[in-house]
Amino acid sequence: MEGEELSRRLVGKFPAVVVEPFRETAGRVRFPPEILLDLFREMRDGLGFDHLGQVGAIDWVEEREVFYTLWSDREKQYVFLSTRVPASAPHLESLTPVFSSANWHEREAWELVGIEFDHHPDLRPLLTPTGYEFHPLLRSFQLHEPEGLEVKVRDV
Amino acid sequence: MGRLSAAKPVLTTPAAAPTAEDSPLPMATEPAVPFIEIETLRAREFLPAAKEALGSLLSEQAQGKLIRPMFNWAGRNSLFPLHWGLACCAIEFAAAFGARWDAERFGVVPRSSPRQCDLLIVNGTVTWKVAHKLITLYEQMPEPKWVIAMGNCATGGGPFRTAYSVVPGVDKLVPVDVYIAGCPPRPEALLDGILRLEQLIKERKE
Repeated sequence: MEGEELSRRLVGKFPAVVVEPFRETAGRVRFPPEILLDLFREMRDGLGFDHLGQVGAIDWVEEREVFYTLWSDREKQYVFLSTRVPASAPHLESLTPVFSSANWHEREAWELVGIEFDHHPDLRPLLTPTGYEFHPLLRSFQLHEPEGLEVKVRDV
Repeated sequence: MGRLSAAKPVLTTPAAAPTAEDSPLPMATEPAVPFIEIETLRAREFLPAAKEALGSLLSEQAQGKLIRPMFNWAGRNSLFPLHWGLACCAIEFAAAFGARWDAERFGVVPRSSPRQCDLLIVNGTVTWKVAHKLITLYEQMPEPKWVIAMGNCATGGGPFRTAYSVVPGVDKLVPVDVYIAGCPPRPEALLDGILRLEQLIKERKE
């Protein structure tokens, strides 16, 4: 998939997406959060990007960015996709109906950056302990010297 | 810490033998003797059993000079640490039991089950995710038991002290007897910590 081909095939169907070239990948796609499931179905079934390698999130204070990496086994190419949700209501549809490998990635993005993935089948903490109340990779999270720490370990 | 104090050993006394009046059903008059005999073989009941056996033969002073030192001598020369690697200190831990340093000459043999261990060497960063598993392993070890915090992470959190996911010192979870500094400490430092622990056991009174 060379040059402008990704842009040509996507923008006709989804006028809201912005495609720009990025290094040796097929391109970098920015899309509004409403069309997430339709866009990824088109990427998988129409364009042949059949493997979801990564879901991550970044805190940009006013809004939070969720990014995805897709790999096409036929074209041997990556494509990067990202969307932004407001920090006041960080809700995004879960990608698990399209790519089931999004399950654990979204759990991690939820517990560390606080993106609420709607209709996720199993939104439990993955890395932090059960009952952990913070989203520690947010910029508002303060590291602290653990003086006077109260140790609470749940019953096994 | 409530669970730790609750897990202290409680000396159980064998229940009184049931009599024919207690139960409408016909019962054997003899209690279950074999089970009680196995119970008395536990390490924590060695001292009362030895004192009872030798009480008529030796004076109080001779008992104090014989029984407790013999118990300590046996304990400190057969420390069995749990084979539980957490982080990079586990590499130094493994090296200490290899041919070059050979910790087995001090009677220190790593075992794979906490039921067979009396020494927990916490060799690495303890995260909150693994904290309750560490407490479970500690509680599964039979008494008497000791803990060595190996390296800066286990001692006080190390470079991750202010991090959101790391326990700032394993003494927040279990009682620690010997702290070893270093990042990671060399196998010599681990051996030195084990020898200091043996000194502590040698001086143990109660």
